[in-house]
Amino acid sequence: MSVVEQAAVLPAARPRPRPTARSVALRSLGVVFVLALLVFMVGPILWLALRAFSNVWPYPRFLPSDWTMKWWHSVFADKSLGHSIKLSFEFAPVVTVASAVICLPAAYAFSRFNFPGRRFLLVSLFATNAFPKIGLYISMAGVFYTFNLMGTFLGVVIVQLIGTVVFMTWIPTAAFSSIPRSLEEAARDAGAGPLRVFFRITFPLAAPGIFVAMILSFLASFDEAQGTFLVGIPNYITMPTEMYTLVLNYPEQAAAVFSILLAIPSVILMSLARKHVMGGRLAEGFQIR
Amino acid sequence: MVLPPVAVVAVFIGFPVGAAIAYTLGKTGGPNSTIALIAQRQHVAKHGVTFAAYREVLGNAHVRGDLWATVWVTLLTIAAVVVLSWAIGLYVRLSDTWIARTVSALSVIPLFIPVVIASYAILTFYAAQGFIKTLAYHVGWHSFPTLGYTMWAVVIGEVWVNVPFGVLMMSSGLNSVPNALIEAARDSGASLPQTIRAVLLPMNVIPTVIVATFTGIYVLGSFTVPYLTGPSAPNLMGVSMSQFFQSFNQPQQAEVMAMIVFVLAAGLGTIYVWANMRAAKRASQTS
Amino acid sequence: MKARIIAVAVAVLVFVPAAYSAGKTTHGARKTKTQTTIVIYASGDVNVQNLWQNNIIPHFEKENPGIYVKFVFSPHGADDGTTLARIGAAVKGRHWPGIDLVDAGLVTTLALDGLDQPVSKATAPNIKKVNPALLTPVKGAAIPYRGSSVVLAYNSNYVKTPPKTLADLLAWIKANPGKFTYNSPNTGGSGYSFAETVVDSFISAADLKQMDNGYVPNLESDWNQGLQALHGLTKYVYQGVYPNGNAATLQLLAQGQIWIAPVWSDQSLSALASGQLGPNIKLTQISNPSFTGGAAYLGVPKTARHKKVLYRFVNYILSPEAQQMIVNVMSGFPAIDIKYMGSAIQQKFEDVSANTLRPTFSTKMGNDFKAQWQQTVP
Repeated sequence: MSVVEQAAVLPAARPRPRPTARSVALRSLGVVFVLALLVFMVGPILWLALRAFSNVWPYPRFLPSDWTMKWWHSVFADKSLGHSIKLSFEFAPVVTVASAVICLPAAYAFSRFNFPGRRFLLVSLFATNAFPKIGLYISMAGVFYTFNLMGTFLGVVIVQLIGTVVFMTWIPTAAFSSIPRSLEEAARDAGAGPLRVFFRITFPLAAPGIFVAMILSFLASFDEAQGTFLVGIPNYITMPTEMYTLVLNYPEQAAAVFSILLAIPSVILMSLARKHVMGGRLAEGFQIR
Repeated sequence: MVLPPVAVVAVFIGFPVGAAIAYTLGKTGGPNSTIALIAQRQHVAKHGVTFAAYREVLGNAHVRGDLWATVWVTLLTIAAVVVLSWAIGLYVRLSDTWIARTVSALSVIPLFIPVVIASYAILTFYAAQGFIKTLAYHVGWHSFPTLGYTMWAVVIGEVWVNVPFGVLMMSSGLNSVPNALIEAARDSGASLPQTIRAVLLPMNVIPTVIVATFTGIYVLGSFTVPYLTGPSAPNLMGVSMSQFFQSFNQPQQAEVMAMIVFVLAAGLGTIYVWANMRAAKRASQTS
Repeated sequence: MKARIIAVAVAVLVFVPAAYSAGKTTHGARKTKTQTTIVIYASGDVNVQNLWQNNIIPHFEKENPGIYVKFVFSPHGADDGTTLARIGAAVKGRHWPGIDLVDAGLVTTLALDGLDQPVSKATAPNIKKVNPALLTPVKGAAIPYRGSSVVLAYNSNYVKTPPKTLADLLAWIKANPGKFTYNSPNTGGSGYSFAETVVDSFISAADLKQMDNGYVPNLESDWNQGLQALHGLTKYVYQGVYPNGNAATLQLLAQGQIWIAPVWSDQSLSALASGQLGPNIKLTQISNPSFTGGAAYLGVPKTARHKKVLYRFVNYILSPEAQQMIVNVMSGFPAIDIKYMGSAIQQKFEDVSANTLRPTFSTKMGNDFKAQWQQTVP
């Protein structure tokens, strides 16, 4: 379908073929596919968002019959909400940066040195993370108490960081691997020191991959609820926990308000990240070499 | 250089996992003494190990029902996500129009929506008074089934949540196929389906395997989507695991279920590692 | 070029949120150091949150300058398992669990496993006003602070004569398919109470008494008949699905999708007062047997901090003033004997009070019951 469609949309590029029954069928199939996808992906969010303004919505109407702003008031009346949103936005960047500091050297080592157990370590980093965490909380709590990390900022950073390690090692490892060694060697031959080579040659070339990893880490840390609750209470209660409270208390309407509120940072993040995330680095990141 | 992330994961996850494995085998001392104090209906090994907890859980017909539900929801979700991400990925790769770009932008939206919100959105959309039912009502199909609180809603929710990763992965994989290769195939007279089969498909086996395994592992461990959109029973293992843990105060049984899920996930992980190794071997042979 | 994009991205990630949050309230910011802070964890529905956050805590803080009560809330006990993990690990390792007072179902577990600090008359004098019978099932290591019962809510637009007995109710459910449901017992007390009430109707009084006061797993076969009866109801309940949580049932009732449901008296009275439930929703109690009810307990983990201040807070919660709030704000029952309360309250609760409500299974029996329900009924 797509080549036909491409020809139709870009008539200058290729001569427009005469529309045959087949091409028309293919085109309309494409349109149906796009419409269905639109309904599937965006429909639920829009349908929910409408509820943020609905007072009375009798079935089977497509729109509410009575509109209201009261759900917005009830969400904003929650005094701890502002604080928890602020906390979430504090933790996510800190976790992302900390994770980068810890994991990027490892990623570099994974890509540049072939030491024994390299593949085993890469795989086991992933495997430990795939273990369902619900049964682990009691012994995790014990470990965090042993290191006096319960209820501390550092403790919350660590518990959120655990979930970002996979992204932060795997994707940058691939990014570093895709840079030819000869490039670094050439720079060194020209008299640049190893640090200079890393920051002038290696790092800028690997930056898009690292950026993707950072976005994914940011989102993972932002969404982490249970581990943060385990370690963070009573001092650090972040947005996902607070959101559960509101969503379960005023189910549909508060969820609706949140879906709109969260759409704003999401759109910003997405427009920034899309080009890089789509750019062809991700698939490399998940291949073990 | 490798040590810091490995150490963090080993101490804060690896050690608790080890303790959990010992606990499922009836070891209630050391790091498991707290959980053993609270738990009820646990199996304790006086010396050596006992598989009584595994026998109990696997002998429970309802847990087996949950297990089968988990397996088929996982497989169905994998299939749907792979097909959808291939379709979207191909569309974006072969047709660089604003519609295609919009489609790709739409399909990554779920990445930025927290799962709780997403689950509620899915539930209300497919519920008894949701959009789908309203639409069916207006086109005169009054007996259209309600999907909310069924396994179908769970599948829809899991697909919705996992499509962005699939699309990103597939478009990233498809983008790495050089234009020249596709054009060469087209110029030599291959039709579009032939080009896909001969050029794009073989070059994207690994990304497809990645999409399938990561989606599968996510679904196996998921809790929020099935808890909010699914039926009371049978439901996915993630839900019944947390019921055993929190509501029934049977953490040992819950951890046995975690082990079962982990074994299934490890099975998927093995396929992934094997596919990677094979590809790596081939690459080293050809170069 | 790419480095610049990253710089912009980092700037956006760091500064936009900061600017956004700067405009927000700074509630929860660190207070001055001379204050004593105690932390209370509560789980339940929005009415419990409201009771603590907007009533008991502000009044106590006002009367006791220098004491700050921090409130941590978990809806439907979603975080109870995590909290139990945390407190268990803390008490075992002699650390401060980060929580000084717990108001949740897990309190009785803590009490029975010896993780709670018993509170005596010496430390909180008002405890003598509480019926001692309520302290027996928890070995005196938890403090009953309010009572509530489960009642039957019905939509009077459709149901003109509500069922009077359990048998009537079961007949009504079968005669009106899809118009009744109860939340799954592991997600909330109102559904739990309905399920237990049906099962209780098949059990001898002597066995029931044992189940209420201790852990007797060998009597669990008594449940089979009742669980089968409940299983037979599944095809008559709304969509064949058991909702998650007390609030979910209330919402179905409010939307008119179901006409009858078991609900918490306090929660539904609050919902009626706030308009969340319309005036067409009415409440009644069934008999033979009636729905269960009981006390909600507070617990002090053994390694809690500032115990002296904490006991003062507990004493305040058991004072007639705070108990009055429970009656007014959440339509609950007072936990202390009504002879200590004003005459208006005495009249209101002449025939019901927390300790005369039909008791429910002990905690461990209840856990097993929830497990068996989950395996047999849906």
